[in-house]
Amino acid sequence: MSEHAQLRQLVIPAPGIPPHLLVSQVAEMFMDESHGKLLSLPVIDGDRPVGVVSRARMQQVLFRQYGRELFGRKPVAEIMNAAPVVIESDTALNEASKAVTERLKFPVTEDFIITEGGRYVGMGAVMHLLNAMEAQLAKQTKDLAAAYKELKASQLQLIQSEKMASLGQMVAGVAHEINTPLGYVKNNIEMMEMFFETSRELLGACNALADTLLSETATEQQLQEQLAVLTALRIGQSGEHEDVVKLFGDTRFGVDQISELVKNLKDFSRLDRAAADDVDLNECLDSAVLLARNVLKARVEVLRQYGALPRISCMPSQLNQVFLNLITNAAQAIEGTGRILIKTEAEPECLKVTVQDTGKGIPEDVLPRIFDPFFTTKPVGQGTGLGLSITYQIIQQHGGDIRVTSQPGKGSRFTIRLPLAGKTLPPAGGPQGETP
Amino acid sequence: MSDKASILFVDDEERVLRSLDMLFKSRFKVYTTIDGNEAVDIVRRDRIHVVVSDQRMPKITGVEVLRRVREASPNTMRLLLTGYSDLEAIVNSVNEGEIFRYLSKPWSAKEIMATVSQAADIALALEQGSGGEADTVAGGVLVIDEDPTVAEMVKAICGPERAVKWSVDLDEAFETLAANDIAVVVCDIRLRGRDISAAVKALKESNPTVMTIVQTQLQDVETLRSLINHGQIYRFLPKPARRGLLELSLDAASKRHVSMKAAPQLANRYQVEKNDVAPVAALSSKLLGYPDRMRQSKPL
Repeated sequence: MSEHAQLRQLVIPAPGIPPHLLVSQVAEMFMDESHGKLLSLPVIDGDRPVGVVSRARMQQVLFRQYGRELFGRKPVAEIMNAAPVVIESDTALNEASKAVTERLKFPVTEDFIITEGGRYVGMGAVMHLLNAMEAQLAKQTKDLAAAYKELKASQLQLIQSEKMASLGQMVAGVAHEINTPLGYVKNNIEMMEMFFETSRELLGACNALADTLLSETATEQQLQEQLAVLTALRIGQSGEHEDVVKLFGDTRFGVDQISELVKNLKDFSRLDRAAADDVDLNECLDSAVLLARNVLKARVEVLRQYGALPRISCMPSQLNQVFLNLITNAAQAIEGTGRILIKTEAEPECLKVTVQDTGKGIPEDVLPRIFDPFFTTKPVGQGTGLGLSITYQIIQQHGGDIRVTSQPGKGSRFTIRLPLAGKTLPPAGGPQGETP
Repeated sequence: MSDKASILFVDDEERVLRSLDMLFKSRFKVYTTIDGNEAVDIVRRDRIHVVVSDQRMPKITGVEVLRRVREASPNTMRLLLTGYSDLEAIVNSVNEGEIFRYLSKPWSAKEIMATVSQAADIALALEQGSGGEADTVAGGVLVIDEDPTVAEMVKAICGPERAVKWSVDLDEAFETLAANDIAVVVCDIRLRGRDISAAVKALKESNPTVMTIVQTQLQDVETLRSLINHGQIYRFLPKPARRGLLELSLDAASKRHVSMKAAPQLANRYQVEKNDVAPVAALSSKLLGYPDRMRQSKPL
C-alpha cells in the first residue's frame, strides 16, 4: 500500500469557514457535535486555505472579559492563525510528520490542513498521523527483519558455494596429483602382465624340458625341439628381469604416493572425526601444504619453522580451510618463483601461525578491505571474494584474530593467533601495514 | 642411421618417463627429459618423429613446449599427455601446438602404443616425401553457421576473388563440399539446436585436406578433446567471432591446405582416430553415403 493513499485516508471532512464569517458564528460551529473530533476548523477563501482557527484560540478570545462583545462581531480572519500547517495529500507520511512536528507547537491545539493541488480537501489530526506512522514503522520493521533473514540465508549459501568452489579447485588439483602416479602405475602393471605372460611361457617350456629329461621314452629329437623353444624364449626375456624389479619399485612408490594423497584428503576433511577435536596445528599445516602442492609445484619453495605446539581444541576442518586458503593466496601472489615461510610459535596465552610470502604484496588502498565479503582483485570468475572473509569469520569463531601486513613488491604476512583453552588473547602488538 | 622412429617423452615425473621408456624401447628409439626447454633443444639437435609432452610442468607448460617444437620441426608429430583437464590449455594445444592427439592420464598401454605408433608412421612418411612448394591457389571457404554475421565476416576477409559458400543445412553443406573445391570449413558445432560435432568429425575423416575451423560458444573439455582426436580440427575459436583472429586462422588454414595439395602425404598428419559410426548415422541418412561420394568425386 502506498504512503500517499495512507495520508489521503487521514482526511477528516470539515466545512471550510469563509474568512468574513463572524467569530460568534464560528463559536456556534464548534458547538456542533459533528466537529467534536476537530481541534481546529479551516478558514477557506474560495478553495484556498488561508488559516485555521482553533478551539483554544476561540476560548482565549471569548473567555476574556467582554470577549464576546469585543470580538463576536468581527470576522474570523482577524483572530485566526494565518500560517497554518498545510500538507499536500500526496506527501509521504514521514515527510508529513516531519512538517507537522517542525511547525506545530506544544501542547497541540491545531490540526493540519490537507490540500490537493493547493485546493482544500479536509483536515488531518496529529494523532491519526502518529498512528499511521507507527503502523508504517511496524510494517517496515517486519519487512526489514524478513530481508535480514533472507540476506543471512543467502550469505550462508554464498559461504557454502565458496567452500564448494575452493573444494572443487582443490579436488581438481588433487585429481591431477593422483593421475600422475596412477598413469605410470597402470602402465607398469600392464607391462608386468605382458612380462608375466612371457614368463609363464618360459616356465612352461622349462617344465616340458624337465618332463622330457625325466621321461624314459623321450627321443633326442623331442629334447632338441624343446631346448630350441626354451632358448628362443630366454633370449626374448634377457635383461627384462632387471627392468621389472625397477618397475616394482616405481609402482610401490606410486601407490604410496596415492595413499598419502588420499590420507591427506581424508585428514583434511576430517569427515571421520568429531567436529571439534584436540589438534596439532603443525599437522594441519602439513596437510594443507600437501594439498596446495598443485599450485605450489616447483615454482614456490615452502619453508617451515614449526615450534613445539600444545594440542588445542578447535574445528580442524575449518582451520584446514583457513590454512589452505592462506597458502593458496600466497602462492598466487608469487609471480614466477618465490618462497612461502610458515612459522608456528606457542606463546603463554595463545598459538601463533604466520604465513609469509615473497609475492607481489597488497597495495595500501586494498589492504583495509581484504577481509570484506565479496572484495576481490581477481578477474571475474576466478574468485568469489569470500575466501579471506570466511577465513576471518572462522578465526573469530575460534576466539582468535588475524592480522595482515604487506609491502607492495616485497610480499605479505598473515598472522593468526588462537587462544589456548581458558585464556584470552592479549592485545596485538605491531601496527597494521608494518614491513614484513 | 637406425630405421626405428624416434620418440621424445617430456614429463616432470621421472617415473612416468621410466615407465614409458620401458614400454616403447623395444620398438622405438626413445628419448626422455624432465625439462621442457631441453626437449626443444633435443628436437633441434636430433631427428625426432614424435613428441609426447605432459602439460603441467614447472617453468614451462606442455603447450609451450609443443608450440616451440612445431616451430623447430614442423613435421614432428605432437601429442599432449595430461592428467589435468584445463580448458585453456587444451584450446591452446589446438591453436598453438597443432597437436595430433590429446591423451589423458592414466593411459592404457595398448592405446598409447597404437596412437604413438600411428603418429610415428605418419612422421616417417612425411620424411620420405619432399614438401614441394605449392603454386596452387587455395580453394573456397564453406561456412556452416546459422549466424549470418559469420558468413559476412568470412566474405569480407576473403574478398571478391575467393568463393565463399554459406549453408545452414547439413545435407546441403555436404553437397556443396562434394561439388566444389573447398579448402577450409568454418563451422559451429551446434546448428539449429543440434550438436553437429559428429558431422565435423566425419567431414575430416573423409576428406583430410579440408581444414576445419570451429567457432563456438561451447566450452567443454570433453567435446574439445574429441574434436582433436576424432576431428583433427585446425583451429578452435571463441564466439562471438573476432575478425582479426578469424583472418589469421583462415590464412594459416588456407596455406596448410595448399601445401597439402602439393604434398599429399602431408594429409596423413591429419588422420583422425576411427569415429563411431552410430552418432553419424543418427545425423542424416544422406550423410552416411557422403564419405563414399567424396571418395568418388575427389580421389586423393
